[in-house]
Amino acid sequence: MTRNATKSLRISHVGLRGVVGPGLTAGRVIDFASAFGTFLDAPGPVLIGRDPRASGVMIREGVAAGLMACGRDVIDLGIVSTPVIQHTIRRLGAAGGVSIGASHNNADWNALKFLGAAGVYLSTAEAGELLDIYHLRKFDFADWRGIGGMRTEIDTIDPYLDELAAVFDIAAIRSFCIVVDCCNGTSSHILQRMNRRFGTNFILINAKTEGVEFAHGPATTRATVGLQLAPLMVPLGADAGFLFDVDSDRVALAADDGTAVSEELVLPLIADYLLPRQEGKLVITNLSTTALLEEVAARHGGRVLRVPVGRQAAMDALASYRPEQIALAGEGTGAVMMPQFRFIYDGIASMLAILSMMKERGSTLSEILKSYPRFSILKGELPLLSRQIPALLAAIRERYRDGEVNATDGLRVDWPGRWFHVRVSQTEPIVRIICEQRGDPPRELYNELVEQCLAANTY
Amino acid sequence: MPRREHLLKIGVSGVRGVVGEFLTPALACAFAQAFGTYVGVGRVVVGRDTRSSGPMLQHAVACGLLASGCEVVDVGILPTPTIQMFAGSSRAQGGMAITASHNPPEYNALKLFNSRGLFLNQYEREELIDLYHQSEFRNATNSEIRRATSDFETPTRQHIARVLKHVDVERIRGRRFRVAIDCVNGAGSVMTPAFLRDELNCEVHAISIDPKQPFPREAEPRPETLGDLSALMGASGSSVGFAQDPDGDRLAVADETGRVLDNDDVLALAVDAALRRVKGDVVVNLTTSSAIDEIAARHGRAVHRTPVGEANVVETMQAVNAAIGGEGANGGIIFPAVHLCRDSYTGMAFLLDRMAETGESMSALAAGLPRYSRKLGKVAYEHGRLASLMQALETHFPDARMDRLDGLKIMLPQGWIHVRSSNTEPILRLATEARSETEAEELFAGVLKLFEEC
Repeated sequence: MTRNATKSLRISHVGLRGVVGPGLTAGRVIDFASAFGTFLDAPGPVLIGRDPRASGVMIREGVAAGLMACGRDVIDLGIVSTPVIQHTIRRLGAAGGVSIGASHNNADWNALKFLGAAGVYLSTAEAGELLDIYHLRKFDFADWRGIGGMRTEIDTIDPYLDELAAVFDIAAIRSFCIVVDCCNGTSSHILQRMNRRFGTNFILINAKTEGVEFAHGPATTRATVGLQLAPLMVPLGADAGFLFDVDSDRVALAADDGTAVSEELVLPLIADYLLPRQEGKLVITNLSTTALLEEVAARHGGRVLRVPVGRQAAMDALASYRPEQIALAGEGTGAVMMPQFRFIYDGIASMLAILSMMKERGSTLSEILKSYPRFSILKGELPLLSRQIPALLAAIRERYRDGEVNATDGLRVDWPGRWFHVRVSQTEPIVRIICEQRGDPPRELYNELVEQCLAANTY
Repeated sequence: MPRREHLLKIGVSGVRGVVGEFLTPALACAFAQAFGTYVGVGRVVVGRDTRSSGPMLQHAVACGLLASGCEVVDVGILPTPTIQMFAGSSRAQGGMAITASHNPPEYNALKLFNSRGLFLNQYEREELIDLYHQSEFRNATNSEIRRATSDFETPTRQHIARVLKHVDVERIRGRRFRVAIDCVNGAGSVMTPAFLRDELNCEVHAISIDPKQPFPREAEPRPETLGDLSALMGASGSSVGFAQDPDGDRLAVADETGRVLDNDDVLALAVDAALRRVKGDVVVNLTTSSAIDEIAARHGRAVHRTPVGEANVVETMQAVNAAIGGEGANGGIIFPAVHLCRDSYTGMAFLLDRMAETGESMSALAAGLPRYSRKLGKVAYEHGRLASLMQALETHFPDARMDRLDGLKIMLPQGWIHVRSSNTEPILRLATEARSETEAEELFAGVLKLFEEC
């Protein structure tokens, strides 16, 4: 079990997340679903989808009950990826949806993500209202005549693939041999269907959707890619390798030469492909993501806008620009969204963009990656008491006065070819330290920051 | 200031309330999680009647049960006795029926069964309520959460097979009875026509057998609520008519003239039929007709009386190893050889079997019963009024034999009086019985007068 399982529950603007049992309980699920049913204004049914975790069925039952009690008809999409739920909300004209799944967390976790009418995540203001209703626990339950019902909808993948095929030439990538580590998640169903329908050559590992034990942790990182996927590349003669988290909104990759590629490179790669063909030139990302992005964007006349870490900050930034001004948005965790798909994180679409770039350029993935200047990133985390944070940030700011300071989310300091970001995690009581440098890793800077954090940790 | 209405009751009979404002999904889920924690890790059978709130509550209950680490077996829309039998025979830890039985459609409730498919006894219910109030439920982790499965076939098949073992099926089939039924669009809507038509070879004329439609009449099957069945009897020329309540445990019967039999007479006919086949005593509640005593005496059997409520009758039936039992006014027939629960299907089979055996009409069978007249009524309950009424009655009938097991029952030379408070609604129930209708009316009027004075 995950450490601090009983303290794992996190109720915030991005929804509800925790270790099922000690943290995330049936009662909280029902109350949150009742709050969502009360919050929704638009007419129409509400969709529910889930990842394969065993706890997903328990949570689906609770979500369905809360929504039905509020008079909503519920459509159960079964085990599907979050992007598929988002596409289906729009296609069916649903009032909204709930995605049940803890994406990159281990199997004992689960989470609820709430989606609005067009399949997009709630804005901060909307999410705040939802939280207020939840805390107030005064729900608009229908009387016995108005209670909703539930039905199931199975055919969701083909319409989703139709949308992908309208943007990417899927048939064109048939020549590639692609290995995919599905992490026992929802990408398995989508890619099997893609193989049958388009004749693509995706070789799947960990393809059995699994409820209790995943083959390995589903985080989309270089370390996870190195476990099983990267070692298969050369023996199978694969052109590219991809690893998806359980709900398929994030992706990580392995190159044809067997390298496990840093998750930081996903966003720059896709930016490199999309910027020349997008009307908008703005790339929205967070403060912790690689500075390579600025270099790649500059090649195509793009501009990078950096916002605080977290999906909510990205959504609010997106909302403050016209869609046609934006080329893409994403973060260094392998989560990327494109205007073509109305800004939803979609790992499958991200993969298709990278494969399309390989096809168009006639280059191998390793060749494309070698065309970028080398950046080295170091990431670490330390436990810290919340009350110590302001003093720590002030001390660090004082020490690195010579750099360019951004204090919108913790502290980021930039020098030419080098930067660091010290911030407090939104999900755990820890401080994260991220340092990056052109060329070799910034070990000295990283160690200084760690020491400074440790020094602040006095009781 | 008007009294606030609390249309929710959490107590020894489970959870019952008006859905929406009072009976919420959170409450149903928490109660189910308490139940799952109480019965322990294993299978729990869940079914429901046709109320519009049923699916919502079933999802809430499944959520709570799964969260407690139980496997949930969904049996869909089924009569309560069918769910009970399946819970008792499928190696389950317990069962749950989502039904407010004879209550109006805005109500719903959770009925709870143990691993033998019986209502939890008083002590089990108290333990469960304590556990619910303590809110310390078992919270299963991802690796401990079990499956949700379904079985829509076995329970019905099993129930029908058990009932048919106790009647002469070929004799009934050979008569090809013409039967009218009214299932109130409830849980029996599919199973009852199939039972009568396919198993007992009856010509079935049915109304209100669409489980998707709301209840077309008052949910409780009593003579006053069954006008449509009486009309159908006449139009179809049926020999007998059967009406169920929404969860198919209660039965009302109409004879070939369209007259709806008194529910106490239906029980009396069933007791007679049962005692012809099985040896044992009879258990009924205090409000049930004295006709039962006479019929039991004909068979040389004793009658045991209990407080009103199915659970009370069942507990005593277990204790005395009874052959049959039931509750007269409620239309409940409990035949343990099938299962220790109210079962309308056993009642239908017994009555058809008696008609086939004797060749007599339903009205003739009813005419053969001891003659008693009953008057039942209810008055709005006010706290403390029952106690003063009981005192007044005792003063008024100083020499009569009294029974204080459930309210007050007074045995008089011409009949009896029973006053008690309802278990499920804030009302006072009054009942009188005598050899003649006039005497029963007189007793009833006397009680009402005393009530107004005290």
